[in-house]
Amino acid sequence: MNNFENVFVIADQIQNDLRPVSMELLGAAKELAEKLGVKVQALVMGHNLKDIPQILIERGADEVYIVDQPELKEYTTLTYRRAAIAVLNSFEKPPHIVLCGATTLGRDLAPRIAAYFETGLTADCTELDIGEYTHKGKADPSKIGTFKNCLYAIRPSFGESLKARILGPWKNPQMATARAGAMIPSRVNTKRSGEIIPMKVEFDKSDFRVKVIETIREVSKDLDLVKAKVIVSGGFGLGGEEGFNLLKDFSTIFNDSAIGASRKAVDSGWIPYAHQVGQTGKTVRPVVYIALGISGAIQHRVGISNSETIIAVNKDENAPIFQFAHYGIVGDLYEVVPLLKEQFKKVMGN
Amino acid sequence: MSDELKIVVLIKQVPDTSSVAGVNPDGTVDRARAKRMINPFDKFALQKALELRAEHGGVIIAISMGPPPAIEVLFDAIEHGADKGFLLSDKRLAASDTLATAYALFKCIEYIKDVDIVFTGLQTTDGDTAQTGPQIAERLNYPQITYCEDLIVENGKVKASRIIDGGVQKLEAPMPILVTVANSATRLEHKQFANVYRSKELLRDEQAKKERIQLLDLDKINADPKKVGLVGSPTVVGKTWKIGEKGGSCRLFKGAAVSKEVETLVDCLSTEGRGIEEYVR
Ligand SMILES: Cc1cc2nc3c(=O)[nH]c(=O)nc-3n(C[C@H](O)[C@H](O)[C@H](O)COP(=O)(O)OP(=O)(O)OC[C@H]3O[C@@H](n4cnc5c(N)ncnc54)[C@H](O)[C@@H]3O)c2cc1C
Ligand SMILES: Nc1ncnc2c1ncn2[C@@H]1O[C@H](COP(=O)(O)O)[C@@H](O)[C@H]1O
Repeated sequence: MNNFENVFVIADQIQNDLRPVSMELLGAAKELAEKLGVKVQALVMGHNLKDIPQILIERGADEVYIVDQPELKEYTTLTYRRAAIAVLNSFEKPPHIVLCGATTLGRDLAPRIAAYFETGLTADCTELDIGEYTHKGKADPSKIGTFKNCLYAIRPSFGESLKARILGPWKNPQMATARAGAMIPSRVNTKRSGEIIPMKVEFDKSDFRVKVIETIREVSKDLDLVKAKVIVSGGFGLGGEEGFNLLKDFSTIFNDSAIGASRKAVDSGWIPYAHQVGQTGKTVRPVVYIALGISGAIQHRVGISNSETIIAVNKDENAPIFQFAHYGIVGDLYEVVPLLKEQFKKVMGN
Repeated sequence: MSDELKIVVLIKQVPDTSSVAGVNPDGTVDRARAKRMINPFDKFALQKALELRAEHGGVIIAISMGPPPAIEVLFDAIEHGADKGFLLSDKRLAASDTLATAYALFKCIEYIKDVDIVFTGLQTTDGDTAQTGPQIAERLNYPQITYCEDLIVENGKVKASRIIDGGVQKLEAPMPILVTVANSATRLEHKQFANVYRSKELLRDEQAKKERIQLLDLDKINADPKKVGLVGSPTVVGKTWKIGEKGGSCRLFKGAAVSKEVETLVDCLSTEGRGIEEYVR
């Protein structure tokens, strides 16, 4: 089996629940593979994976490699690293492209794999594409040349209002992590067929150095920001921790809702990091994003730009958020929110 | 057996994007003019190190890689209570990507030897990749704990919790280990006067300064120049462009009584087919 030039996706699953980012990776991988005229390969690691390989095929994988062993029941860096590297090393040639989710799993695992292969890795991409690249830099003559079919790994750059295209055409696999929520998930096609290839991995004693004592899953549904349809989000304008009580109360009138926050609110210690939205937090794509007391800094904006509707409440009519929100009220959120809650219930309540 | 710890904290100097100095109108940073600061995420890493040393004793060694002015963040770390600083500065390091940076920092840690714990920040505000730490751990063949919230050392083992999507993992691990500290961990304490005083003394006493802050280059740490800088970086930035300004289409309600504004807004939402009705209870 020749593995040249394929696009390889490392799927993200927790407790045999395929994370949404996996479908987004497959969506992106399918487009890349079509442009290259190659196959999409997926790797899933875990234990008792049941129908996950089939789902990956329905979502666009042509070949699914599975490592289903008891040692992989819970994610640990070293065991998953061992398994992923073993699969990648089983190919005659490495894949052209390897993609991972920019989740707590992918951001933990991908850099280890990239360092192992001493290859390039671009973090937290919001777009991926294929194209040509001409390198002229004279500092290293061995790199000069024109390269076809490069991975364009595109990401917001340096906390600034720029996007950057990162390239690494000199060595395969060209690796990237993709930010959850940023790419369009592939559709389900139950008629697709593909090959499922089980792999067996030998672990080393040293792979078990880190032991998982306990995994505590957040039972509260409101934490799944990435899946939420309505996000009520608070910023530094809340003025204090108590502000989030008002937000929680407001959010109770919505189904499938979650509480979000700006980094300044998180850094102030008002709410845990898991709620942070933006470049260094989560990327969300709700039906409605309600931003309360958030100025709309670019790093916040990149996390919410996929929202269908953005509603902002801010005291300052010149706040940058009003440049990209769809609806805005200039006013004190403490005055606006209670009225907004009443009005929503009155007009739309079921 | 003593349980004193040899702790390394990796600290980067970054441009201060919150200050206007050196930030061009288009949002790009002019690094020469920009103010400099310690990467805010690295403060959490330093704080964890200070806490561990308070509990177990030992030494804290801050390492930074960057151009000569990066020595400022080492002074800063010493003022906060770090024992020693190492600055890795070498022209050949310029334009290193994370793989190359991780290689160079790995060689520094090897040079320092017998380290128990390496702390890094979760990520930097300029590189912003969160991958340097794990890449160093891979080179060192250390286990790692990323997104670490809490950490203690007990009977020679690390007990820690790490944020995962949808929850928390409680972990136990041996040392040596590399830990990237989440920004929800405790914030950095204020500087103590005695430390600030001692650090200021260093500016006057060249010999004392040499003992506290050492300058390293690639030769000293025995690093392969082919694995750093432009030559050793598998990635390049091909092109940058401004994030599209959509703007201008916001329906802004202002100036009227708040109750009126809210009413109009909700009316618009319900008539303009935004699909919100479905989610209101
Ligand atoms: C590399 C990097 C990464 C970053 N990542 C993120 C990220 O992931 N997410 C993120 O959010 N930020 C991030 N930031 C920080 C970002 O630049 C901003 O500092 C942050 O988003 C500001 O948060 P804020 O809008 O809550 O606070 P502020 O900018 O202080 O805005 C508060 C707003 O509240 C309004 N206000 C005050 N009182 C009231 C009131 N009573 N009623 C209504 N409005 C009121 C004010 O007019 C103001 O507009 C990052 C920065 C960097 C450099
Ligand atoms: N040049 C550097 N000098 C010292 N530490 C660094 C450097 N670059 C990265 N680090 C460490 O690695 C972490 C992650 O950085 P990054 O991968 O750039 O997001 C930082 O928080 C630092 O602790």
